[in-house]
Amino acid sequence: MKFLLTAAAALGLMAGAASAQSRLETVQERGKLLCSGHNGSYLGFAEVDDQGNWEGLDIDLCRGLAASLFGKAEGHLDIVPISWAQRWPALQSGDIDVIIKLSGWSQSRDTELNLAFSNPYFVAGFHVMTNADLGVESVAGLDGGSICVSAGTTTERFLAAYVEKLGIDVEIIVFESGDEVRTAYFNGRCDGLTLLAPPLAAARATSENPEAHVILPDVIALEPEGIIVPEGDPKWLDVMNWMLSSLWFAELNGITSENVDEIKANPPSAQIGKFLGVTPGYGSRLGLSDDWAYNLITEVGNYAEIYDRNIGVPYALPRAKNNLYTNGGLFYPLMVD
Amino acid sequence: MDATLPRQTRLRALRTDYFSTRLDTLVTLGFGLLAAWVLWSLFDWGVLHAVWSAENREACGHGAEGACWAVIDARWRLILFGLYPFEEQWRSALACAVIVLTGGASCAPWFWTARRLAALWVAGFVTFYVLMRGGVFGLTEVSEQNWGGLSLTIFIFASVTLLGMPLAIVFALLRRSQLPWIARTMGVIIDAIRSLPLLSIMFTFAIVLPFVLPGWMIGDKLHRVIAGYALFFACYQAEIIRGGIQSLPGGQEEAAQALGLGYWHRIGHIILPQAFRNALPATINQLVITFKETSLVVIIGFFEILASGNAAYGNSEWNFAHVEVYAFVGLIYFVFVFALSRYGAYLERRMAVAER
Repeated sequence: MKFLLTAAAALGLMAGAASAQSRLETVQERGKLLCSGHNGSYLGFAEVDDQGNWEGLDIDLCRGLAASLFGKAEGHLDIVPISWAQRWPALQSGDIDVIIKLSGWSQSRDTELNLAFSNPYFVAGFHVMTNADLGVESVAGLDGGSICVSAGTTTERFLAAYVEKLGIDVEIIVFESGDEVRTAYFNGRCDGLTLLAPPLAAARATSENPEAHVILPDVIALEPEGIIVPEGDPKWLDVMNWMLSSLWFAELNGITSENVDEIKANPPSAQIGKFLGVTPGYGSRLGLSDDWAYNLITEVGNYAEIYDRNIGVPYALPRAKNNLYTNGGLFYPLMVD
Repeated sequence: MDATLPRQTRLRALRTDYFSTRLDTLVTLGFGLLAAWVLWSLFDWGVLHAVWSAENREACGHGAEGACWAVIDARWRLILFGLYPFEEQWRSALACAVIVLTGGASCAPWFWTARRLAALWVAGFVTFYVLMRGGVFGLTEVSEQNWGGLSLTIFIFASVTLLGMPLAIVFALLRRSQLPWIARTMGVIIDAIRSLPLLSIMFTFAIVLPFVLPGWMIGDKLHRVIAGYALFFACYQAEIIRGGIQSLPGGQEEAAQALGLGYWHRIGHIILPQAFRNALPATINQLVITFKETSLVVIIGFFEILASGNAAYGNSEWNFAHVEVYAFVGLIYFVFVFALSRYGAYLERRMAVAER
């Protein structure tokens, strides 16, 4: 399978080299954005509602991107269901235009797989959850206990390295799937459960008694998740970075999907007027319409709205590092001039 | 005489079969109790303490004693139809019903000639495809990537079988060819494909082929995967048919030749009907495996019934209810596979009658 993936990526390289056109123009000519979905559901990022419509943080970014390109997402966005293994070749072959699928920025992906990452839009820490009764305050307190983890993921390796660094004696119990590892923890098979923060918060929020479990503050490893486009397409990558920046710019300036019309009608500063397309420039430099950021915010709201809607409210996961720098987080908008 | 031979009553049979020695009694009681306990627990969990309606969702979740069928009540349309547009899902349901009816109709002996069976399946399949895909007769178009759930599973199974079965016959005949290089080449092809895992064939067809094929041949990803799967199915089924042919006495073909029958008559009227009869149990087995292995397409990002089941419990509201969803999906698989194997058993009985 690994060989097949590499072969597909290599073939994609050749195919990519042949076409000089930016994916931005391809998408605009097509009139439709093909964005990555999921084969099933990934809590908080790609879910399906009762009527078969996609929702989630990654899906909202897809919608926002479609609205930035075409004014509105409806009729201009196809969410293509793809699996984790399939996402790189699907991008190279043109089955999808962009990967927004909670994918960490790693060196091998950046170089060998020939992908380009946008600025991270989410930083996901691997954390350990444990029973509140144990009174443990950090992973070091689990000395002599056991921690459950799912097999074959990077998590297992990170956890082993972290435990070794702390010099404590912890039994690491490996399970095949996410469902299994959660069930094992809730049945008392192990003292701790290691997962990426969002699914961990989801497991806690939907458990019998959320109060009975605490998520320890230790960050076992941090995964910066970016939007992914093929290497060597700067125009297309620019659109991703400026879309994310616009979401943070709107949040920083208090522009929401509720008040964006008011603010556009009466912009408090020339900068915000430019941002919302009252005066020209913000879009044309990117090859978009000048009011694209206004369309983006109208469609999905600012970053805080997206986060709260998909993660903050349903899974009670605090924003922590995913906040703006003004609130102790890692995110900041680029300069609008 | 009557008095000396004990009359075989049901009660007596029960006693001699299950309680004749002390050990027998112990084993019977032990396993009987175990079975009763398992059945009772299942009944208690799945029926007595179960929550049936989505309005009573609050009664579900961890700590609840029974099954939470509320998740099925709320999400059954997602499980059955996947991402198919909500307002159009009646089409997906109708399409499934058409295929099931076609399957049911082809069980009727009246249809058992190659021409009628082919006509029935082509008609059923075209109806299914037109209903699902739309774009004609005022139906809105729904592209393949939005198909999902049960109808996608059925579509993959039906098209793989319909394409694969004729291909399998061709493969089997080619492998029996009198010309050695044709027979051997076919043998190598069949063995090569059989030695590859289905997953890697699907992956190659879905993901690698678009890079090597010319643009007009690429087609839809779903169609490519079905082509690959049909090839895989045909190679296995060809060997099953060849086995059926080889089990025929050589005299059959020689007698037909002696009567002056041409190749196609010999194959179509003498060899294949008997070969299929002999190969029936293995063929049904292969069909069951094919139906179940459709779930592998999840790996290449299709929204078949297992994936839509995963999506059904994959949100903040129903995250705890994966057991119920998988039980429901398992039940659907069971209905189809059980019906298939009962049909196979019926065919065998009928053919046994024909042989007497």
